[in-house]
Amino acid sequence: MTELLQYVVTGLMTGGLYAMVGLSIVLVYKATEVVSLAHGELLGFGALFFWLFFVALGLPLWLSILVMLACSALLGFIIERFAMRPLIGQSLFSAFFMTVAVYLMLDGIFALILKGGAVGWPAFLPAGNIYPGGIRIPLTSLATLGICLSLFGILAAFFKYTKIGLGMRATAEDHQLSQSAGINVKWVFLVIWAISAMAASIAGVSAGNIMAVHYYLPFFILMKGLVAALFGGLDSIPGVLLGGLILGAAESVAAGYLDPIVGGGVQEVAAFVFLLVILIVRPYGLFGLVRIERI
Amino acid sequence: MQRPCGTFDETYGQDTAVIRTRAQWGLVIAGLIWLLTVPLYGGDYVLGLINHISILIIAVLGLQITTGYCGLVSFGQAAFMAVGAYTSAILTLNGLPFWLALPLAGLAAGLIGLIGGAPSLRVKGFYLALATLAVHYVIMYLIMHLSITGATAGLHPPPPRIGNFVFSSDKTMFYIIVPLMLLMTYFAKNLARTKLGRAFVAIRDNDLAAKVMGINLYYYKLLAFFIGCFFAGIAGSLLGHWWHVVAPEQFTIVQSLMYVGMIIVGGLGSIAGVFFGVISLRLLDEAVFLAAPSLSAAFPQLAMDIAAPLSGVVFGLVIILFLIFEPRGLAHRWEIFKTSYRLYPFSY
Repeated sequence: MTELLQYVVTGLMTGGLYAMVGLSIVLVYKATEVVSLAHGELLGFGALFFWLFFVALGLPLWLSILVMLACSALLGFIIERFAMRPLIGQSLFSAFFMTVAVYLMLDGIFALILKGGAVGWPAFLPAGNIYPGGIRIPLTSLATLGICLSLFGILAAFFKYTKIGLGMRATAEDHQLSQSAGINVKWVFLVIWAISAMAASIAGVSAGNIMAVHYYLPFFILMKGLVAALFGGLDSIPGVLLGGLILGAAESVAAGYLDPIVGGGVQEVAAFVFLLVILIVRPYGLFGLVRIERI
Repeated sequence: MQRPCGTFDETYGQDTAVIRTRAQWGLVIAGLIWLLTVPLYGGDYVLGLINHISILIIAVLGLQITTGYCGLVSFGQAAFMAVGAYTSAILTLNGLPFWLALPLAGLAAGLIGLIGGAPSLRVKGFYLALATLAVHYVIMYLIMHLSITGATAGLHPPPPRIGNFVFSSDKTMFYIIVPLMLLMTYFAKNLARTKLGRAFVAIRDNDLAAKVMGINLYYYKLLAFFIGCFFAGIAGSLLGHWWHVVAPEQFTIVQSLMYVGMIIVGGLGSIAGVFFGVISLRLLDEAVFLAAPSLSAAFPQLAMDIAAPLSGVVFGLVIILFLIFEPRGLAHRWEIFKTSYRLYPFSY
């Protein structure tokens, strides 16, 4: 029983990470109806920017985080303005494959910068473990979960109480209606890409706190984030939080019990099996809007 | 299709012909003669390149049928190639001749494709793309963890042979790969014009409307996956027997994404587009690989093999530019060129 609880708790901690990536995908989907794979590399670049400012340039922690956020937002801006905006009005598949192309391009640059190695930084989150009820909880992971929850909280407040947040919710409902109501939809798209890029970069730095930033990191966390977003429902922000946490717990339990039997690698493949089951059983996710098609 | 002035159809055969005029026949025959005589003077490098392009064309033709004609986006084509390659390798290592293993590899990939394509009955578009990506990952996971596939070390299939004649070099494999590529192209080109192909196009344009017209969606969507994966299986089998090695790293997710990129650059729903897409992107890739060593020399601080990441950057950039400036692909440009060539010197 303790063993199972341990797996669940460990999974929940990683699940927070998946939820953050899923959140960035959901944000873009809600506003623009495009599912973005590019956020995987925005995550990777967030970690790279942080490493660049914190380790390579030796800036203080608070400043490196701020500059990292600014750089990520700028990257999101650039992608929206030069890659996504020309495709407004084209088929959704074109826009989706555009994000794949952006992903491939940034992936190559990411690999060129990493030079086949990995980067990391000295831990700045509290280290050590706590043992409530015999379950080991690393403080770093707990802090990551805390960052995730506060990110969700900040964004919820942003959408609820600020004017531009309200405009974004209106845009998510209907592009043309909100345009005629005086909302600058193009500006909303830009801002949403910048915000989601910042969310992804925070996820990247959080991932870098737990593991080394290597070449495969963006792809794996991106896939987990996508599964989390699909599971919760692509247009539901509470859904993606729940989806991420459940996914983290599920794959941790699966890996814990199945790895000894099949010999490793279950954690990587479990998310994909999970994804297939979701898509076949409930394609619109837990809280997603069920779309009815007409001819 | 717009035809040269003065070309009329007098029989049903003429009306349905793919190659319509004498000039076209001349070009086709000259092209075939050129292609089949390349081994007489081409070096191993050129032959290897043509072999690889031909194999890619077979795989991407399959993807064009699934994605370009039937509209079912598949990000798992490389994994289905892997299924074909491994099936053929296992069968030939157990003593079956290559000539029997080749169609069986196609069938095996097609059958796995039926399972992999099952989500298409439930979801479409982006969701289906993700489902096939998951299928890709699950297949590669199984290949890397089963003992029959040699895990990460891979297998070494023997070269094909007839009697005592062994097809072991690039030059001899050329005469298996290229005729097969032509055969598969002929098949794909004609498939698109049959009842089946028209049903695929109807499903692509609007699957609900197609269903209302009496097209059995389940049957045709699964069939599209079966045919597309059959092509992939054949391509995978050829690749394995040509390189004498089948290993998981030959069939990555990036490969699958690149195949979709190739049909976007070439043009969705066009057989000629497959040729344009594969040839132009493969040559671009080759140029990057040739330029990489000198770039490495110019920027020694990179100090690594920059070819693979650089080809990813170039590939992504090309797709971005095509999606923005020519979403209908090179095949569309080719049609424009043909029309203006025929109308020359008149502009209308």
